[in-house]
Amino acid sequence: MQPPVTFLQSVALGFLGLGLFIGLWYVLSVSGFVPRVFLPSPGEVVDRFAVLMERRFAGATLLGHLAASFERFAYGFLLAAVVGIPLGLLMGWYRLLDEIVSPLFDGLRFVAPIAWVPFAALWFGTGIGGPIMIIFAGAFPPCVINAYRGAKFVDPRLIEAANMLGTPSLRVIREVLLPSSVPSIIAGLRVSAGLGWQSLVGAELIVASAGVGYMMVQGQANVSTATVMSGMVAIGLVGLALDTILRLIERVILRRRGLEH
Amino acid sequence: MGVIRFDDVGRIFGSKAKGFVALKNIDLEIGDREFVAIVGPSGCGKTTCLRLVAGFDHATSGTVSVDGTPVKRPGPDRAVVFQQFALFPWKSVWDNIELGLRNLGLRAAERTERIGAILDLMHLAPYAEHFPHQLSGGMQQRVAIARAYVLDPDVLLMDEPFGALDAQTRVVMQEELVRLARKNPRTVLFITHAVEEAVYLADRVVIMTRAPGRIKEVLDVASIRNAEDWGSHEKIEDVMDLESFVHLRTHIWRSLREEKASQDV
Amino acid sequence: MSRRILIGLATLAVVFVLWYTATTVLGLIAPGRFPSPAETWSALVHIWDRGYGGGDLVTHALHSLRLVVLGFLVAIATGVPLGLFMGWNRRAEAIINPIFLIIRPIPPLAWIPLAILWLGLGDGAKILVIWFSAFVPSVINSFAGVRTIERPMLEASFMLGTPRLRFIQEVLLPAASPMIFTGLRLSLQASWTTLVAAELVGAFYGLGRVLNVAQQDLYPGMILVGMVAVAIFGWGTTRLLGMLETYTLRWNTAALAARG
Repeated sequence: MQPPVTFLQSVALGFLGLGLFIGLWYVLSVSGFVPRVFLPSPGEVVDRFAVLMERRFAGATLLGHLAASFERFAYGFLLAAVVGIPLGLLMGWYRLLDEIVSPLFDGLRFVAPIAWVPFAALWFGTGIGGPIMIIFAGAFPPCVINAYRGAKFVDPRLIEAANMLGTPSLRVIREVLLPSSVPSIIAGLRVSAGLGWQSLVGAELIVASAGVGYMMVQGQANVSTATVMSGMVAIGLVGLALDTILRLIERVILRRRGLEH
Repeated sequence: MGVIRFDDVGRIFGSKAKGFVALKNIDLEIGDREFVAIVGPSGCGKTTCLRLVAGFDHATSGTVSVDGTPVKRPGPDRAVVFQQFALFPWKSVWDNIELGLRNLGLRAAERTERIGAILDLMHLAPYAEHFPHQLSGGMQQRVAIARAYVLDPDVLLMDEPFGALDAQTRVVMQEELVRLARKNPRTVLFITHAVEEAVYLADRVVIMTRAPGRIKEVLDVASIRNAEDWGSHEKIEDVMDLESFVHLRTHIWRSLREEKASQDV
Repeated sequence: MSRRILIGLATLAVVFVLWYTATTVLGLIAPGRFPSPAETWSALVHIWDRGYGGGDLVTHALHSLRLVVLGFLVAIATGVPLGLFMGWNRRAEAIINPIFLIIRPIPPLAWIPLAILWLGLGDGAKILVIWFSAFVPSVINSFAGVRTIERPMLEASFMLGTPRLRFIQEVLLPAASPMIFTGLRLSLQASWTTLVAAELVGAFYGLGRVLNVAQQDLYPGMILVGMVAVAIFGWGTTRLLGMLETYTLRWNTAALAARG
C-alpha cells in the first residue's frame, strides 16, 4: 500500500506543485515561447489586477464591477430562495402538487440556465433584469430540490410522535416539519449559490453592460489578456468566499443540532 | 511448513511516547497445522496480531515470522478471510476464486481443476457463475474461504470470519470449517470474540488482555478434545453440552470478565 | 408509476392549452415577447427547410453534438486517469492539489473570453472551453472513486498477490467505476452548458449560434426552437451515457437498490 504522507510532507509537496505551476507559467511567458500578448507573466497579471482596482476599465473599477455583479447575484439568488424553498416544501408535503409540478420542473431543469440568455436579452436588453433572470434559472432548481427532499424525507416517527401528542396541524408544520427540513434547505442554498454565481458569469458575458463578466469580454475585445485573467481571479475569489461562508453557516447550524459527523 | 512466530512483538500507533500501545511483549509460536484462536476484549489487539502475520501492518518492535522468514508484505502464502467477505462484486464466484490462481501463474487447466475441486468441497458448484450480491452472507463467506483455500496456503488467517453472519448460519459455518480443517489441515490463526466458537474450533485458545494487549493465558484445548472425544459427536450442540466444554468456556468467560471489569473502572 | 405519467401528460397538455390561449387566443403575451405555438412551428419549418444562421437545423445540431462529444472525450481521457492517479498516489495528490484549489473556484464559463482570445471563434476554442469545464468533475469524482474503495477489498487483492497492471484493470477501475460514472455525467452536463454558452458568445455554427442570431434578429420562435433542440440533444446524450452506465455497473446492487 502507498506509504502515508505526513502533513508537513503534503504542505511541502503542495508548495512544490504550486511553484512548478507558477514557474512553468513564468518561463513560458517570459521566454516568448507563448507570445506575451497571449500569456502575460504572473507578475503582469498581478500588476493589472492592482491597476484595475484603482482605475476604471469598461466603465468601472474592478471593485465597481464586482459590486455590480454581486448585486445582480444577490437579487437573483434571493428571488430563487424565496420562491423555490416554499415551493419545494409544499411539493414535498402535498403529493398532488408534487405530481403536477414535477414533470414541468424536470423538463425545464434540463435546459441549461445559459440557454435562457436569448430570451433574457429579448425581454430585458442589457438591463439588470437579464442577469437576474439567468441567475434565477441556475439557483432555482437546487433550492426547490433540496427543500423538497427535506420536506419529503422527514423521519415519519417524528410526525407520529407529534400526532400522538395531539399537535394541531399548523404547529406540526411550524415546529416539526419546518425545522427538520432546515439542514437540507441549507445544503441546497449552498449549491444554489454556487450555481447562481456561475450562471451570472455566463450571463454577463452576453447580456450585460457592467459587471465582471462584461469587463472580461471587453478585455478580450481589447486583447488585454491580463484583464481577462484578473477578472477570472476576482470571480474565483468571490465564489470561493461565498462557498466558504455558506459552508460555515451550514456547519454552525448542523452543529447546533448535533448532526455534524 | 506454516510455523508462525511472534518474538517479543510490540505495536504502537502514533509516536513512541504518546501513541496508543496496541500490543506489548507478544511471544507466541503456532506450530505446523495447528489451529489457534485468539479471544479477548474489544481493542485488545487480537486483530492487529492477525494483520501483522498477514503483512497489512508492521510491528514497531520485535519480529513476526513465518517459517523463519520475517513477514514483509501480504501474499498468497498467508491467505486471509475477512469479516466483511471482501469479494469483488463485479466478478463471478468462479472469477473471484480464480484471481489468486492466475496471480500464481497456474495454467488454465490446472486452475479449472483446482477451482472445480474446491467448489465441490464447499458445495458451491451450482453457484459458480453467480455474482456475490446474488448470494446470502453465509454463501459469500464460503466463497471467501474457498478463495483462500484454493491457494493452498501455508497459513490461513481468519479475522472474525463469521461475525457478520446470523446465529444459525454461523453454527453451520463452524461445523463446515471443522470438516474442512480435518480434511485439509493447515496452520490457522482465528480471531474471534465468541468464546464458544473458539473452544469448538481451536487446538489452543489464546486469551489476551485489554489494551495494551498482552497474552494473559494460553489454554490447551486439543488435549481435552482428544481425551473427551468431542469428535465422536456430529452436531455442535452435542459438543457444547459436554461438561468439559462448558468448563473450558466458563473459564475463559471468567478470565475475560476480569479484563472487562478492570476496563470499566 | 403510471399515475405519475398520466398526471405528467395531463400537466403538459394543460400547459400547452394555456400557452396557446395566452398567445394566440387572448393575445395576453405580446408576440415579440414569447412565441405562440404557431410561430414556433413556423420557425421550426424555417430552419428545417431553408436553414438559418448559416445552415439547417441538422447541420447546426450535428456541429454542436460533434464538439460536445469531442470535448467531452478529451476531458475524460485526461481527467479520469489524473483523478485515479491522484487518488492512488498520495504524493501526486499533495503536489497537484493546490493547483486544483486555485482553478476550481473559477466558473467554467469564465474561461470563454480567454479561449476566444487564444483561439478565436472556431472549433478549437470551443473544445478548449469544454475541456476546462468538463475536466474538473471527472478528476474529482475519479479521485473520490479511488479513495472510497473499502480497505478489505484492497487488502484482499494484495493478499492474493495481484500484480500492478492486473490490479488496476481488475480491481481499481471496477471498484472506482460507480463514482467515475458520476463524474462522467457531470462532465457531460458541463460540456453541453459550456458549449452552448461559448456558441452564444460567438460562433460560426451550432445551436448556440442559432440562439445568438435569433436573439439579434428578435425572432422568439427561433429562440424557442433552439432551446428545445438543446434540451433534446442534452437529454439524448445523457440517456446514452446512462445506458452505458447501467450496463457496465450491472453488478452494483447498492446503487440499483437506491434507485429503486
